Amino acid sequence: MRNRIAALRAERGWTQADLAKRIGVSRQSVNAIETGRFDPSLPVAFRLARLFGLAVEEVFTDEQTDG
Amino acid sequence: MDTPETTARYRVSNRRAAQLMLWTLAWAASLAAARFGPERWWDAQASPAASWVAIGVNVLVGVAWVVAFARFLRALDDLWRKIMQDALAVTLGAGWVAGFAWAAADAAGLVTGEVNLALFPVLLGAVYVAAVAVGWIRFR
Repeated sequence: MRNRIAALRAERGWTQADLAKRIGVSRQSVNAIETGRFDPSLPVAFRLARLFGLAVEEVFTDEQTDG
Repeated sequence: MDTPETTARYRVSNRRAAQLMLWTLAWAASLAAARFGPERWWDAQASPAASWVAIGVNVLVGVAWVVAFARFLRALDDLWRKIMQDALAVTLGAGWVAGFAWAAADAAGLVTGEVNLALFPVLLGAVYVAAVAVGWIRFR
């Protein structure tokens, strides 16, 4: 699954640690999600989307359907 | 920067980690009492009930320890839960493979020396710690 989290985070000038604190996960989680090595659970995905003011599908895209 | 929701999540996670540490210490202490008590604190022949009580307490504290570990896992964030679960899978696999290999070797008469079975949990602990470290490095 691909995502736009790194770009959305950069637009706001947040570090990975800043974002991690805002959504209540570890910095490693944010790094792993951004680099596509780990897919977050639905609650975390929704927290990310809510934080960026977007819909989940605007943050995450399924590589199999959109690739 | 922290929202009340994330602060509460951190608090729960830290509290569960502290509880797990306390239960781990309690289990180790109760195991030490069950193991060394009959030799040092009471006469096992004269009062076997004391040994039974010590073993019973050890098992009960062990059950509470397992529950505390499950609660700790549930309080972790997604990635750390995955790292822990992967480590548990590796540990279970290693224990299974090593245990049955040892049993087969023993049945075949290949195990000639005395093997202390207490080393088996130590092996599992070492595998678990190593697997967590590998997971941590992998997702660093």
